[in-house]
Amino acid sequence: MFERKPMRLRPVMVLVVAMLVLAACTSASPSPSGTGAAELRPVRLLLGFRPDVQFAPFYLAQQEGYFADAGLEVTIEHASGGELIRLVADGQADFGVADATDVMVAKSTDIPVTYVSTLFQSFPVAVIGPAGTVPAEPAGLAGATIGTPGQFGSSWHALLALLDAGGLTPDEVTIREYPQFNQVEGLLAADVDLITGFRNNEPLRLAAQGVDTELLTIDEVAPLPGPGVVVGDAALEDDVAWVEAFALAVSQAQQAVIDDPDAGLEAAIEAVPTISEDVDTARTVLLATVELWASDLDIPPGFIDADVWEAGYATMEHLGFIDGSVPLEDMYWHAIRLE
Amino acid sequence: MGALRRIGLAALSVAGFLAVWQLIVVVGDYPEYILPSPAVVAQRAVEAIQNGTLQPHLAATLEESVIGFAVGATVAILVGIMLAKSLTAERVLSPYLVAAQAVPILALAPLIDIWFGGGLTARVVICALIVFFPIAIATMVGIRGTDPLLVEMARANGARSSQVTRLLELPSALPVLFGGLRVGVTLAVIGAVVAEWAGASVGLGVLINIADQGLFDTPLMFVALGTLALLGLTFYGVVLLAERALVPR
Repeated sequence: MFERKPMRLRPVMVLVVAMLVLAACTSASPSPSGTGAAELRPVRLLLGFRPDVQFAPFYLAQQEGYFADAGLEVTIEHASGGELIRLVADGQADFGVADATDVMVAKSTDIPVTYVSTLFQSFPVAVIGPAGTVPAEPAGLAGATIGTPGQFGSSWHALLALLDAGGLTPDEVTIREYPQFNQVEGLLAADVDLITGFRNNEPLRLAAQGVDTELLTIDEVAPLPGPGVVVGDAALEDDVAWVEAFALAVSQAQQAVIDDPDAGLEAAIEAVPTISEDVDTARTVLLATVELWASDLDIPPGFIDADVWEAGYATMEHLGFIDGSVPLEDMYWHAIRLE
Repeated sequence: MGALRRIGLAALSVAGFLAVWQLIVVVGDYPEYILPSPAVVAQRAVEAIQNGTLQPHLAATLEESVIGFAVGATVAILVGIMLAKSLTAERVLSPYLVAAQAVPILALAPLIDIWFGGGLTARVVICALIVFFPIAIATMVGIRGTDPLLVEMARANGARSSQVTRLLELPSALPVLFGGLRVGVTLAVIGAVVAEWAGASVGLGVLINIADQGLFDTPLMFVALGTLALLGLTFYGVVLLAERALVPR
């Protein structure tokens, strides 16, 4: 009996040991989601100058797993235009959000950076002024004193494009520069008649001061491509699928914010708690921003409108910002395609 | 030290600096848009001078910093004398002066630009504010450092207070005062750039912004930075020459 008992117990013991080993292996090995987390590719993303509700799609993509589903672990940081493009081009950051017109200039000066998807289908910069003072046509800007941040960036490109569309040169207006982006204060102090600014920002700030505004936009007279996602050329050549995955995640998150702006607002508040100090203004800014993301064409968020780029490239070359040495097709690359 | 030896040392120092710079570029394998080599910057400087890019910006910064320094130094010396001679003035004004010095002028500059309607006046005010503090403090310390026996002797011989200040205390304070002027004159260049970043269409600070964010022309940005450094060195040299001429050794 003593000899047979072990024999009878052996299959049971083997089974128990096997189950224990299996359980140990199961608990020691990562779960399917854990495996995914371990394989996420780290991404350093540079957004604009400072955290803002306008970056809601990126916050939402980070919080709701759009990036993780694309196999990306995104760290969001902020940088100014010149620094941002250099860091992305050099590979010190993986992606950035930059003005398309800046990309044209940077690319023309041998900085290896490429625009891969569009955030703003409408050009966000406009000439802004108190109601009744803004001319309906660019030619009406003659003689005006206009405040703008400086001789750089999309505001400068838009201002010169508008003046040119009106048959004017910068000498035919008085330009006052506000490098600290405080041109609203200049307008309120009556130092200038008009200012350049973002359609989803400065008019709202002026409205908060009780000033009704009018805008002279550029889309109809001299189209320029709006800000979008940029990547370094080396990264793009190295792994196209990676760039496509990132752009698609951003596009999906942008669509989610378009469909439900409050979801975007909540994501922005979670990422940037100070936004909750003035939720109404943040919501107004986000809604105005969503309008600028929209296109008249039936295209998904992120899609690059080649016609706008062609027109913008011609305008930038005509104004002397670029010399045409880098062909248009090298400036951008479609990370988001029409199905 | 002979003049030839001094020039040789200066040339060696410059050559060493350029060699280290070049070494960093080569070892770090930095692209031109991150860190251009000295040769690239030199070539860009020649281009910027030949095509007239640099000169108007240099002239504007030169004007702002010279006037700003002159205004700031003059007011600072007068206030420094007042602080040195009146304990009440020191007790009343010092907290404000120190507090004003602790406030970052970069934050105030855009407001000053709007308060003064922009233009040269606003930029001179910003520059003068930055220059003011070290010179005022140096003046006060220098005057207080005057030998009290000499002051007593001058008064005993019938010198009026203004005569004591003009003929005894100020000359006695010159070595310390020039220390403040040396600091102040280099700050004048920084003050001019800060003022230009608050609001200007021309100036080396504006050129830095244009090169950095407008043209993405890093070599041109280094040309502007180098020009600012040369301007500071020149101002410093002028103050040093004045010091050698006025302060007995």
